[in-house]
Amino acid sequence: MEDREFYVPYIEGSLGSKTKRVLKRFTIIAIGLIIIAAVVFSLVQRPFKNSTFELTSTTKITGTFHESPYPMLRVKVADNSYKNILLLGFGKSSANPFLEKLLAEVPHLNGRRLTIEGNLIYYNGKTLLQITDEEKVILENQKGNTPVKTALAEMTLQGEIIDPKCYFGVMKPGYGKIHRSCAVRCISGGIPPVLATTDDNNISEYYLLTDLNGNAINKDVLPYVGQPSEMKGTVEIMEDWYILKLDIENLTVISEASNIYSTDI
Amino acid sequence: MALDYKLVIWNSFKKQYDKLIVAGMLLYIIVFAVLTFVFNSETSVETLIIRAFGSLAIIMLHIVLVIGPLSRLNEKFLPILYNRRHLGVSMFLAAFIHGGFSMFQFHALGDVNPIYSVFTSNMDYNSLSNFPFQVLGFLALLILFAMAATSHDFFLSNLSAKVWKRLHMMVYLAYALIIAHVFLGAFQQEASLFSVSLMALGFITISSLHLRAAFKERKIDRAKTIVEEGWLEVCSIDDIEEDRAKIFTVNKERVAIFKYDGKLSAIHNVCKHQGGPLGEGKIIDGCVTCPWHGYQYLPHNGQSPPPFTEKVATYQLKLKNDIVYINPEALAEGTEVKPVDI
Repeated sequence: MEDREFYVPYIEGSLGSKTKRVLKRFTIIAIGLIIIAAVVFSLVQRPFKNSTFELTSTTKITGTFHESPYPMLRVKVADNSYKNILLLGFGKSSANPFLEKLLAEVPHLNGRRLTIEGNLIYYNGKTLLQITDEEKVILENQKGNTPVKTALAEMTLQGEIIDPKCYFGVMKPGYGKIHRSCAVRCISGGIPPVLATTDDNNISEYYLLTDLNGNAINKDVLPYVGQPSEMKGTVEIMEDWYILKLDIENLTVISEASNIYSTDI
Repeated sequence: MALDYKLVIWNSFKKQYDKLIVAGMLLYIIVFAVLTFVFNSETSVETLIIRAFGSLAIIMLHIVLVIGPLSRLNEKFLPILYNRRHLGVSMFLAAFIHGGFSMFQFHALGDVNPIYSVFTSNMDYNSLSNFPFQVLGFLALLILFAMAATSHDFFLSNLSAKVWKRLHMMVYLAYALIIAHVFLGAFQQEASLFSVSLMALGFITISSLHLRAAFKERKIDRAKTIVEEGWLEVCSIDDIEEDRAKIFTVNKERVAIFKYDGKLSAIHNVCKHQGGPLGEGKIIDGCVTCPWHGYQYLPHNGQSPPPFTEKVATYQLKLKNDIVYINPEALAEGTEVKPVDI
């Protein structure tokens, strides 16, 4: 009968030539599999957005503070043109804990000029600022004007409720099922809920969500976050932001994929 | 075999094996990262780490899972089985990096405990498409952790081989959880024909290899034996190779009958170390040597040679007209039985 090879781990030289050949073949196939899998899994990733989160650098911004109802800083970018920068806290929290110290000194911050140093987040015309240190929120002497809201129309919109911090730069992708739990955590922690929509021409619009009285609606929207949804409410425009005033009863999860899943967002 | 516990008992084979594991892991991460940066440069480092290590862990798990059936189908694969635990622990590390980064990214720095968040941030447990897939990955990671943490002979000995084996068989549950984690998670948002096909191919490969190995072993269990006055006729003396064994199932236990030095002896087929098939081993220096890790037993009493203390059950044999008969009643582990002279 054939002398079968028998490998014993602690006996040097017991690895026979036929066994070695099999091991070599197995190793080559495993390496081939590793390369094929790396190529497939890397190349099938959908394109990421060119959103930015300046994690390692800070920027000082001076503007007029207002809560509408979410903390923002109104900054003049050109004559009669203003940008409202959404203020956020560290991690998955709102900016409020970082404003408490200042609020203890000045109870009414609306309309006051502030200089805040933080990390910028920006994408598709929207800018957000992460505050990580309450000492870097400085009250200026001047006062400024807060933006005016103008009601536009009653509208029915389809899209996905996202947390703007991740969507506009911190995470990629910052929307959809993979990101849903994180968006829930962020909105639960005080990050303003935003409806992201994309129309057939691939134009995206963003709506800050509030209740019918214009108050924060974070807790009520949590079950719907990160899923294609349809909602009806009154749309207002506040300079560079839309606001959707919403009765939560008029919000439903829809079965078909939202346009925000198109590849170009 | 060793009398005391060391973290790793190194030999040149293990070193070479581990170098290949590290090289393979680096190769995967580098190819994945370079291709992502070249073709999808807007990625974030965190996403790259989560995706690269998650997919690497899945590939490694597939390799881990094919080694067992391949070794049962062809003994030349046994050296890969020998150091499989290092591959398993490395796979856990890749999965841990994926899971750890994901937990931090998606659940930490929030208003509740991150682990509580994993289970409660998405409560659509009654929906398939919206199912909280991260829970599945978390449970799989717990199983892989328990396996990696006990991947040492210290635990094997202290938990008992039976408990240890049951714990490590949970890798199949982890595999099922991981498949569900991927199909209900990443593939819900970024499905591609290529990636889904690759996962399906992996599942088919693992399943078919396990089925083939199971059919091969079923033949042993279903082999007919003839009863004669309480003795079972098992085979002809010529059916057994010199210094090797044939495996038979008697009283629902697998028994290995060894032929060596003009003698025959029968012992229980299951090695006390990790349950390796002693009947696929060889007589070396007068001892039955397990094909998995080289544990040894004396064929006439089932005892490991001193100073080792492992013992397996022994069986009585008789030879009549070159036909081998076995008494199906197992004797107590380590019982001396006079070998049958051929």
